[in-house]
Amino acid sequence: MTEFIQMIIDALSLGSLYALGALGIALIFGVMRLVNFAHGDTIAFCVFALLWPSIDAAAIVFAGNLPTILLIPLILLLGAGLSVLSEIIVFRRFRSANPATMMIASFALGFVIRYFLLMLYSSRPKSINLWANLSEPIDLYGARVPLLQIVTVAITLGILGLLTLFLKRSRYGLEMRAAAENFTMARMLGVRANRVIMLAFALSGMLAAATGLIVVTQTGTVDIQMGASLMLIAFIATVIGGLGSLTGAVIAAYLIGAASVLMQVVLPLDARPFRDAFVYGAVILTLIWRPNGLFVPRSAKQRV
Amino acid sequence: MTLLTVDAIRVSYGKLTALRGASISVKEGESLFVTGPNGAGKSTLLKAIAGVVALRAGTITLTGTTIDGKSPEDIARLGFSMVPEGRDVFGSLTIDENLRIGIGMRADKDAAHRDLETVYSVFPMLAGRKHKPAGVLSGGQQQMLVIGRALMAKPKLIAIDEPSLGLAPKVIDDVYATLLKLRDAQGLTLLIVEQSSARAMLTGGRMVLMRSGEVVLEGDARQLARGNALQKAYFGYGDH
Amino acid sequence: MATRQSILARTISTPIILTLILLAVAGLSLWVDNGIFTRTIVEVFIRVMIVVGLYTFIGNSGVISFGHIGFMCIGAYATAWFTIPPAMKKYSLRGLPDIISHNQLPFYLSITLATLFAGVFASIFGKILVRLSGIAGSIATFATLAMINTIYSNWETVTGATSSIVGIPRKTGLWTGFAGAELAVIVAYLYAISRSGLALRAARDEAVAAEASGVDIARERLKAFVVSGLILGASGALYAHFLGVLTPDAFYLGLTFISLSMLIVGGMNSLSGAVVGVVVLSTIIELLRTLEKGVTIGAETWSLPHGAQEIAIGGVMIVILIFRPSGLTRNQELTWSGWPFSKPSARPDEPIEDRATEGAGA
Repeated sequence: MTEFIQMIIDALSLGSLYALGALGIALIFGVMRLVNFAHGDTIAFCVFALLWPSIDAAAIVFAGNLPTILLIPLILLLGAGLSVLSEIIVFRRFRSANPATMMIASFALGFVIRYFLLMLYSSRPKSINLWANLSEPIDLYGARVPLLQIVTVAITLGILGLLTLFLKRSRYGLEMRAAAENFTMARMLGVRANRVIMLAFALSGMLAAATGLIVVTQTGTVDIQMGASLMLIAFIATVIGGLGSLTGAVIAAYLIGAASVLMQVVLPLDARPFRDAFVYGAVILTLIWRPNGLFVPRSAKQRV
Repeated sequence: MTLLTVDAIRVSYGKLTALRGASISVKEGESLFVTGPNGAGKSTLLKAIAGVVALRAGTITLTGTTIDGKSPEDIARLGFSMVPEGRDVFGSLTIDENLRIGIGMRADKDAAHRDLETVYSVFPMLAGRKHKPAGVLSGGQQQMLVIGRALMAKPKLIAIDEPSLGLAPKVIDDVYATLLKLRDAQGLTLLIVEQSSARAMLTGGRMVLMRSGEVVLEGDARQLARGNALQKAYFGYGDH
Repeated sequence: MATRQSILARTISTPIILTLILLAVAGLSLWVDNGIFTRTIVEVFIRVMIVVGLYTFIGNSGVISFGHIGFMCIGAYATAWFTIPPAMKKYSLRGLPDIISHNQLPFYLSITLATLFAGVFASIFGKILVRLSGIAGSIATFATLAMINTIYSNWETVTGATSSIVGIPRKTGLWTGFAGAELAVIVAYLYAISRSGLALRAARDEAVAAEASGVDIARERLKAFVVSGLILGASGALYAHFLGVLTPDAFYLGLTFISLSMLIVGGMNSLSGAVVGVVVLSTIIELLRTLEKGVTIGAETWSLPHGAQEIAIGGVMIVILIFRPSGLTRNQELTWSGWPFSKPSARPDEPIEDRATEGAGA
């Protein structure tokens, strides 16, 4: 029973992390049809902001020393700021470009961010002790579960709730949803393109900051590559969930988290290191079964 | 008073010229039908006015302000509302949400909310399904929805691209009846792209015929539809 | 109706020009006559193979594949298995079957077999993947790359997992590199003018019309996918013999994105774009690398800070794409009759109305 609970919490916790990443990607994709390959590097940027620039192996904690109540808004703002800056300086020039070009532009931007961090901090992973008390295990029906996992799930659900409220109840949320479905039509009804896009980037940036804070608390290290593997899953979840569908991206992220944890338990010992390969295989099979994603209604064929 | 002037505009998609020197003008309160064969450039004309495609040459003015080169959202704020071909409803949004989008650019929110009530009274079938997603509506209901949605922007000029497309004749009758009611009640200026010249004849107003990217014929809808000037122009008789 | 001969006659100038460019690059190496510079040039030739290979599938089908570097990985490790001296393989790669473990194949045989080996996997993966279009297809290829990387990074007895495997004979020199790049260009060209290539490009531009004309999109895509996989397998093999050591991470996200960048900055839909992209970006990279090492002006040595090189490359790519969204060659081929850099793209541009076509699915 305790193992079962452990598994559930693991799956939820992992899925939550993937969900935050996927949301960051899906928000921008929904509005701009852009797969933002710079998102992972934005996550890393937010985390590095906790440290004072130094190439030493030991991290000199800078912003990380601030009290939590100041730290969190600051990092969220930094994330939003970097994202909005990316839009103004780079992505705005590519509004009418084809998807491949936009993709490479986002990759190039990510490249720039990553090497900027490298220039300031060197490529050595640094260790940092953020909110260490969260790693304390608590007793949940006999299972010893790190408090951090519960917090991760709770925070993610909170963020999801806030985001849903924003999208469903606010004027800007309505405009974003309309723009995500049909950008041109929304503009013809007076929706300001730039405003909606900047909003999407700002939200995405804040999500990146949140993701980064959780990851750095979990792993205790600050590393330039932090965002990379998470981002791969995030992209996959966004597509499997159904392009442009935020709910779909989140659900797909939790499914992948669950599948990952399940494989870990179910696979024979020898095959365990190859767990990820099985997950990727499952992804390919899912796409074959539902190329348009799990949660988009099977749309009618293109009208000729 | 002339509301809209389109002056010799050229629009190209890459090497393909869709409009070569097309000109129309629409007076306040009138209904102008734009008709012509497929590929004549009718939809492109509307898209050019809406600001969705760029002009290579020519100008467009709306109530005296030059609008070519402006963004679609700015043009919408100047009083132009468009219903594109194919009834682009926001399927994942509810009917109510679809209608509310236009409120964003209205300065006077109270008047806007009153207008929402008016739209629901003009289109009672929408009122009953307010909170259902727009994607489940039938073709005719969607057409009503997009017209109502365009009205919410309180436009001076509404352009509709192919309102009859894919609809049964009885439904088209209803749509046009509503449009006319609105025209007569609110003094709405209409610019309608309509393949069927018979509709134009029934509804009355002015008509222009487009072919190969330009306007080749102009006149009173009823007169034109009755005579054979239309057929000649449509099929290109007497051109060579 | 255009016949094979007339298409050949009209377009042959492109591969000829590209060959001349490659020869010029080789010639540069001979002129500079510096061992390190030559190694850089060989790397450029291998990059040409990679990007031309990517073009063969991506340019013709319009589907961006993130997965093909995985086939490069397969080809590279295969030739390593065949050519590392048995004395070394027996201990470091215990999982290899005896027939490979106890033998060592000659260079040309090995790279040929390695190429075919990669091709086999390209067929297997291709059969599954080519039914997907657009973003779904791209993400599926991303998953393929990740899968291959995971397997190679963990199968210790066969690939050495994340530790490098060493001992691969370093046989790839200037002319081997040139030959590889040239062969890639020829194969890509021949595929592009073949029936399959033409049909695939038709489907890329207008899927519904192509299907209505009887094009079996999945089948033509599979052909392009496999040809592409073969070219990448070959490039992997040559790369293995260039480096002498291998790790799976060399064939993962970094190389994938740099290669795709070179293709798209050059011009995604054109073979010339592939070559131009590699040559131009490689030149810029090398220039920046030199600047980072330090340039002596008078008595001062001035150098860029570490990491600035990559920032500059990223910046340059963004700037190029802002001004040439369809790439340096504007998706056209280099031919005798004109400098393509001044003519606008032949394909109809989208009007302001962006995202006229929505995401996944054909």
